[in-house]
Amino acid sequence: MNVNGFCRIVSKKLPQQFAYKRIVTFSTKPAQQQQEATVSTPTLPNNNTPAARKPIVPGHYRFVYPEFLPDPKVQWRNTVREKLERLDMLARRGQVDLPEFYVGSILAVTSSDPHAAGKTSRFVGICIHRERCGLRARFILRNVIDHQGMEVLYELYDPTIQKVEVLRLEKRLDDSLFYLRDALPEFSTFDENMEAEHLEEGAPVPVNDIKVVLRPRPWLERWERQNLLGVANIEQYIKDKHRKSAAKVQKPWEKYDLMKQYRATIPEEEQKEIFAEVHTELHTLELQRKRNKRKRSFIKPKQLA
Amino acid sequence: MNQADVSKLISQLRIVVRPKNRNLKNPDGPEGRLLKLRKTVTALVKHERIELYYNRADEARGYAELLISNAIRHGDRHKPTMELADYWLLEKQLVHKLFKVLVPRYDNYNVSYTRMYKAPRDYPGMYYKKSVLELRGNPYPTLCADQTQNRNLLHNVLLDEARKEFRREKVADLANKLNVATEAPKKTVEESSDTIKPTAI
Amino acid sequence: MSAASKIHKATWCAFRNLEQYRTKAKFSSSAIGTRNELFNQEQRRQQDAVGRIEKIEIRYLGLPEDVTLLMNKHISTPYNCAQHLSEGHCKRSALALIDGTIPWDMHRPLQESCTLQLLPFNVSEPHVVNKAFWRTCSFLLGAALHKSFKSEANLQLHSFPGPNIKSGSFVHDIVLSSQRWQPSKSELRAISAEMVKMSAQDILIERLDVQQELAYEMFKDSRYKSEQLPSIGKQNQGRVTLYRVGEHIDISRGPMVASTRFLGKCTIGVSHKLANEGSSGAFYRIQGIALPSGYMLNHFAFGLLEQRAQKLNSARLPHEPFEEPQQMQIS
Repeated sequence: MNVNGFCRIVSKKLPQQFAYKRIVTFSTKPAQQQQEATVSTPTLPNNNTPAARKPIVPGHYRFVYPEFLPDPKVQWRNTVREKLERLDMLARRGQVDLPEFYVGSILAVTSSDPHAAGKTSRFVGICIHRERCGLRARFILRNVIDHQGMEVLYELYDPTIQKVEVLRLEKRLDDSLFYLRDALPEFSTFDENMEAEHLEEGAPVPVNDIKVVLRPRPWLERWERQNLLGVANIEQYIKDKHRKSAAKVQKPWEKYDLMKQYRATIPEEEQKEIFAEVHTELHTLELQRKRNKRKRSFIKPKQLA
Repeated sequence: MNQADVSKLISQLRIVVRPKNRNLKNPDGPEGRLLKLRKTVTALVKHERIELYYNRADEARGYAELLISNAIRHGDRHKPTMELADYWLLEKQLVHKLFKVLVPRYDNYNVSYTRMYKAPRDYPGMYYKKSVLELRGNPYPTLCADQTQNRNLLHNVLLDEARKEFRREKVADLANKLNVATEAPKKTVEESSDTIKPTAI
Repeated sequence: MSAASKIHKATWCAFRNLEQYRTKAKFSSSAIGTRNELFNQEQRRQQDAVGRIEKIEIRYLGLPEDVTLLMNKHISTPYNCAQHLSEGHCKRSALALIDGTIPWDMHRPLQESCTLQLLPFNVSEPHVVNKAFWRTCSFLLGAALHKSFKSEANLQLHSFPGPNIKSGSFVHDIVLSSQRWQPSKSELRAISAEMVKMSAQDILIERLDVQQELAYEMFKDSRYKSEQLPSIGKQNQGRVTLYRVGEHIDISRGPMVASTRFLGKCTIGVSHKLANEGSSGAFYRIQGIALPSGYMLNHFAFGLLEQRAQKLNSARLPHEPFEEPQQMQIS
């Protein structure tokens, strides 16, 4: 938090300094007068308005809204379709509040269900996987209810979804948590009536470095081959032959395969273009959400009383 | 519909990228393929212009471009970039060249850092297509002479003459106008003096 | 009813057109056929006259490397030398340069040992090729005019002045039996289309040196050509240089580019009436502009050039008396 605050102060100060420098490099006398004028007058921000007015897309948008980036597979690209999809996504986001969440966050999703009592069902669970992009973006929630593991796959832009609450916003050490299926049940057990935990505004999303304890073999997947960081006791259950075969399928060169990475990502320039297109609307939605949150937090104690 | 990888941020390449990579036939699989390409990239950075088979050049080109663009983006204080340079440049003195020569050279470029030409192949000989791969701004003489500036080419001669004629006409026009303008006031003055005279009398 | 009559009308028109073409073909075959026959005979005679084959050493200078080629005297042409080098040389070379100074047609047999350079259009000093190209354009314009006019028009090619690129247009002077011919845009476009068609057909341009007497016989039905022949023959020790593209034969000093393929963008822009000729005929000057194939020029710039090509070319007029014997040779 502290660091963040400092950053904000610095970022406020930096443009001023740059403006200062820019004037100096060009300056003879009239410029100096300008300088004095800027220093003397208290309305400093006016000087920087042209820079401030430009839509600057925050760098973290690609993590918060990854589904706005198209599929990097060139054969499947279609710029018109992508654009239309983005419009549809924004329209859907105007109807329902889809908050920021990551793999490892604990969510509660309320969706309409014709067979449930009251026509709605609410499911609480940990997000173990996020995949696909555009309107097809989806995620899997996992929980253990009555000693029985449950997983529900939700499409993010499904019109039957009524509400998505983030009960605990955090990340885990791995990109997908399918190994929770083979872990002891207490690692994927979450209380259905859990209260939403409040995270301070502007703070970085915490990374939960909990190490999961696996059940003994047989497993659903060969976890020893996947270089998992969030598993504690994988060594306990594997033998030498597993170790050998795991070593065989390792691909240590992939982190140097630049073109493979390039083909799996959307280049920065393109990302900027895409987010510049949707930035204003996403930003207004965010502001709206903050306002609503404040209202709700104000109302709650009244109801209790 | 896969999600794009967001963990890394890469600048856009200014070359045409094939949707799929070429495997470059190799008994050692992808690792051997990368070794081949490392040799090519090293040679490219070292010699700045190399002649080789088209497929391998086209594959290596993307890696060379990305290596340079990463070096420009992160500089030599960035550990992963340094590791990349260490992996891709087999001769370690070239790491210095990358950061101290190529990065300043390409800092303000808005075109690709490399250039590729199709080269003629020997006949009779191997069927494979050949090509020349080079870094831009290399010290060698250019491979394709720029003909567009040659004033003696037919269309340039024609355009030059057309321009000259246009200017000549413009000048003649101006001269005519000036003549008319200078003659006209004289007349008016004369007329006016004529008109004034009787009143004076 | 009306549709049926329309179709009937259309077919009848087409049929009549066809008839006209047939008569035209008959007419042309009588005059042009004999000319071509004579040309072929003379060509064959010259080939047979070579006799014992002698070897000459041709020193080729240029890319990819300088080489010496052993070729046949009076048989091998610069094109044959290019065939020894590569396909690209054959395709690109428009003209050859002998001993660094003498321009030489690509399909003209070499006479003796010499150095040889092959000139494409994009060499650094392309004056010679440009000139040859401009001359070829005038020559091809004559062929195109021959194809486009019906026999009733009584077209007679007069001559074309020496190539002057700076004038902005290439020229062919003709005589028509009408004194008030003003071509419409579509008619000019049709002539341009003939040029483009020829360039698409990739026809070789052949050269033949003949005796003056034979030239007389070939051009005996053409009044203006027969008038010009004595002065041409006088300059050139009684020999006349002929060029042939397809069926069209004309007198020209040469050299010309190797094939019609080198003609790229082409527009025949205008026809100026120069003077009356006789009681009912008149001199016309047809002007056009062309670029070698492979030259890219945006349509705006080319439009400017087209506009400039509309102005009357200042080259010597055909009906004026020849002032100096040096200039009498037509191009």
